[in-house]
Amino acid sequence: MANPRRVVITGAGLLSPLGDSPEALHAALLAGRSALGPITLFPTTGLRCTQAGEIPAFDAQALLGDRNFRPLDRISRLVAAAAGKALAASGWRPEMLRQTEVGLVLGTMFCGVHTIAEFDRRNLTRGPSYASPLDFANTVINAAAGQTAIWHDLRGVNSTIAGGAASGVQALAYAVDLLRSGRLDAVLAGGADELCFETFYGFYRAGRLCGSAADGEASGAEVPVPFDARRNGFALAEGAALLMLEEAESAARRGATVLGEIHGHGGAFDPSRGEDGGRAARAVARAIGAALADAGIAADRVGAVSAAADGGVLLDRHEAAGLESVFSGCRALPVTAVKSMLGEPLGASGPLQVIDLLETMRDGALPGIRGLEELDPVFPRAVLATSPEARSVDFSSAPFAVVDAVGFDGQCAALVLGPAGPAMVGHGDGGGGGGGSR
Amino acid sequence: MSRNPVVVTGIGVVTPVGTGRDEFWDNLLAGRSGFAPVSSFDTSAHTVHLGAEVRGFQGADQVRNLDASRLGRASQLAIAAAHQALADAGLDSSAGLADPGRAGVSMGTTSGEPLEVERFDDFFLASDLAGMGTEFIVRYPCHVIAANVAAELGFEGSATMIPAACAAGNYAIAHAVDLLSAGRADLMLAGGADAFSRITYTGFARLGAIAPVTCQPFDRNRKGMIPGEGAGMVVLEPLARALARGARIYAEVAGYGLSCDAHHMTAAHPEGAGAARAMERALEVSGLNADEVSYISAHGTGTPTNDRLETIAVKRVFGDAARRVPISSVKSMLGHTMGAASAIEAAVCALAVHCDRIPGTMNLEEPDPECDLDYVPNAARELPVRVAMNNAYAFGGNNASLILRKCEM
Repeated sequence: MANPRRVVITGAGLLSPLGDSPEALHAALLAGRSALGPITLFPTTGLRCTQAGEIPAFDAQALLGDRNFRPLDRISRLVAAAAGKALAASGWRPEMLRQTEVGLVLGTMFCGVHTIAEFDRRNLTRGPSYASPLDFANTVINAAAGQTAIWHDLRGVNSTIAGGAASGVQALAYAVDLLRSGRLDAVLAGGADELCFETFYGFYRAGRLCGSAADGEASGAEVPVPFDARRNGFALAEGAALLMLEEAESAARRGATVLGEIHGHGGAFDPSRGEDGGRAARAVARAIGAALADAGIAADRVGAVSAAADGGVLLDRHEAAGLESVFSGCRALPVTAVKSMLGEPLGASGPLQVIDLLETMRDGALPGIRGLEELDPVFPRAVLATSPEARSVDFSSAPFAVVDAVGFDGQCAALVLGPAGPAMVGHGDGGGGGGGSR
Repeated sequence: MSRNPVVVTGIGVVTPVGTGRDEFWDNLLAGRSGFAPVSSFDTSAHTVHLGAEVRGFQGADQVRNLDASRLGRASQLAIAAAHQALADAGLDSSAGLADPGRAGVSMGTTSGEPLEVERFDDFFLASDLAGMGTEFIVRYPCHVIAANVAAELGFEGSATMIPAACAAGNYAIAHAVDLLSAGRADLMLAGGADAFSRITYTGFARLGAIAPVTCQPFDRNRKGMIPGEGAGMVVLEPLARALARGARIYAEVAGYGLSCDAHHMTAAHPEGAGAARAMERALEVSGLNADEVSYISAHGTGTPTNDRLETIAVKRVFGDAARRVPISSVKSMLGHTMGAASAIEAAVCALAVHCDRIPGTMNLEEPDPECDLDYVPNAARELPVRVAMNNAYAFGGNNASLILRKCEM
C-alpha cells in the first residue's frame, strides 16, 4: 500500500573532522582529504594506534550562544550545535518551534560514556559527595538528545537509537516512520558519537582499530582503507550530524527548500554477528532489499551507493558480498566509502553519508575511496565500481542512491535517497527481497 | 492504527519480586516488596542502603544458545525474560517461526550494561588496564542487549535498542507496535532491561532521590524511590496472526503517546505539561475518551516531585474522571527497575486487562493533600479492566504513555 505521507529533507547541520557544513564536508571528501591525525583529546602513550578523526577544537560559545551551556557535556554540546545548524539551515526559527512540536531522534553508539566513566571514577576516588548530580544527568544514554531538546525547545517525540555504526541510519529510519504514521510533521534526526579514551581503548583492545591487532603483522601500519586487500581495521572518528526531516506537504506549505527525499528504509539482523560470512552478507542484502522494496524501486534505479565499509577486516567483506547479491544485475554501479577519509564516526556515520550523498546528487560528483590501491579480490568489481579519486556520476537514468550501514553486532540498515517526488516504478528485478513494502 | 491491531500474547519478567509471570503477579497482588540492603556493592559511603536487586539470578541457567560468560548482566536478564515470554506465547524460539527475517527485537534501557564500564574503571584506577581483557567493546555498548536477545533466539528482523532512560520500555514497545502495524515484521519481542549498578545508585543518592526505609508513592511522607533492576519482555503480533494460531491474547495495544518536556534533564515540567501531552496523544490515537480508562499504572517513583506532578498531569487530562480512575504504582513493591520499569509495568497492565485485577500502591499510610486521587492504597483490587494506561517518565524529559485494552471480538 502506497503511503501518502512522503518524507523530505529540508536542511542539515553537522560538526565533523572534515568540516562543519555540507559544502565543506563535500569539498574535503572530493579533494580526498583525510581527517586522521594524532589524537589530542587523550594520551595514546604505549598504544600501537595513535590516530583518529577529531573534530577541530570547537568554540561552544560561538556555536551555542551566551546561554549557560555548563550542564551540557561535550557530546551534548556537539549535538546541540549540530541541531542549531540544522534548524537554521532548514529555516526553523525559535518562534516556530514554540508553536509546533518538532521531534528529535538521535543515533549514538555510546553517547556520553566518558562522562559516565568519569562520574564513576570520581565517586570511587573521592567519594559520592564529589560525584556531581549535574554529571549524573548526563550519564543516561539519551542525555544528548534530552539536553538538545531543552536547548532548542524540541517538544515532540524525543528518542535515542543505539546500534553501533548503524545507529544513525536506524535513527533516520525510525524518524521516517514517525513522519509517515502522522505522529509528527517535522523531526530532526541523525546521529553523533564523540572520541574519548574509553571507546578508543576498547576498540583497540578488541583489535578493531587499524594496526591494533596484537600480532600486528605489519607493526605500526595503520591501513583503514575500505575494501582494500591491505586493510587492517578502522580509524576511530567522531562527529555530530542531524537532518531536518519533514512530511512533504507540510514542508511545501511553509515554503521550505527540499534537498531530497528518503524514499525507503530497511533493517535486518545477522544472528551470527559476522561469524558466518554467508549469513552476514545476507543480512546486509536483506536490509538493502527491504529499503528498495519500501521505496518501490528496482535495484537498477540506483545510481550510487555510499557504503558502510570502514576498513574492518570482516565487515567490509560481508558488505561487499551483500551489495553484490543486491546489485548483481547492475554493471559498474559507483560505490564510495567516505570512512576512508572520515574514519569511523560511529553514530554520526550514516547521517554524514546522507549529507554528502545529497551534495553528490546535486553536483554529480562522488568522492573516491582514499588510499585504495589493491582492491580486495573478493570485491565484486564487475558489479560495483570503486575509485581512489572522486568522479562524476550520472543520475539521469538511475536517480536514486543507497546509504548502507552495518553495525558491529549484526545490525544492518539501509536508506534509499532520491529527488523529491513519488518514486516511479522501475523495471527489472525487485532487488534482493526481504519484504517490507506493505 | 486499528485496521491492523497489535496484541500482546506473551509475557516474561525477571524482577525483584519474582521471576516468571505467575510468581511476579501473585507477589504484586499480595503486596510483597523486593527491597533489601544492597548486596552487589558496598553502600557504606552513602546514607541510604536499600535496593531492589534480583537475587539468586544465574544467567548461565537461562542462556541456552550463547555463551553466558560473555554477556553482561542486563543481557542475561533480558534473555531470561525473552525465553519466558516466547514460551508463554506458545512459541519456542526460532523453531516456531516460519520466517526468522520477519521476527525482530525492540529493547529499551537506561544504562545498558553499566557493570562493564564499572569494570573498566576498576582496572583503570588500579593502573592495570592491560588486565581488563579484550571484551569491553563486545560487552558494554547498550545495543548488545537487543543484539544478544536476537542472536540467542535466532531472530533476523531488525534488532533495535532505544535507550530512552526510565521510559525506555514503553518506547521500545511503541516502536515494535509501529513495525508490526506497518507490516515490517510478523512477530516482535519488545521490552526493557537494566542491571543494578553503583553508578546509577550513586547518582540517585546524590540527587537525594533514594528512600532510606521504604518506597511510599503518593504518601505524604514519601522520601524517594528504591533503585532496582530487572527485565520485562512482551511478545507482540498482529491480531490476525494471533487468532490464526489460536494464541491466548492478553490485550490489544490500543495506542501510545510520546512527548518531551524540553524543560529540565532530571526534573519534570512544573505543570506536568509534557506528561499530559503524552497521555492526551495516547488517548487520541487510541480513539478513547479519558473516562473510558479503567486503570492507570503510574510512573509513581515515590519521589516528592514526581508523584505530585504526575497527579497534576492526570488531573489535567482526565478532569472529573481523574477522581474515579484507580491509579497504582507497582514501584512501591518492585522499586524502580529503570529501563525495565515501563516494560514490566506494561506487563502489569496486560495482566490487569486479562485478569480484571489491579495491584495496589503499598506503604501508602498517610494521604498527601496534593496527591488526592484513588491510588488503590495497600491492597490489590478486583474490577473490570477494559482499558489500562501505562505512564512512564524519564531523564531528558521523555514522557511515554501506552494504552492496552481488552481485545473484544
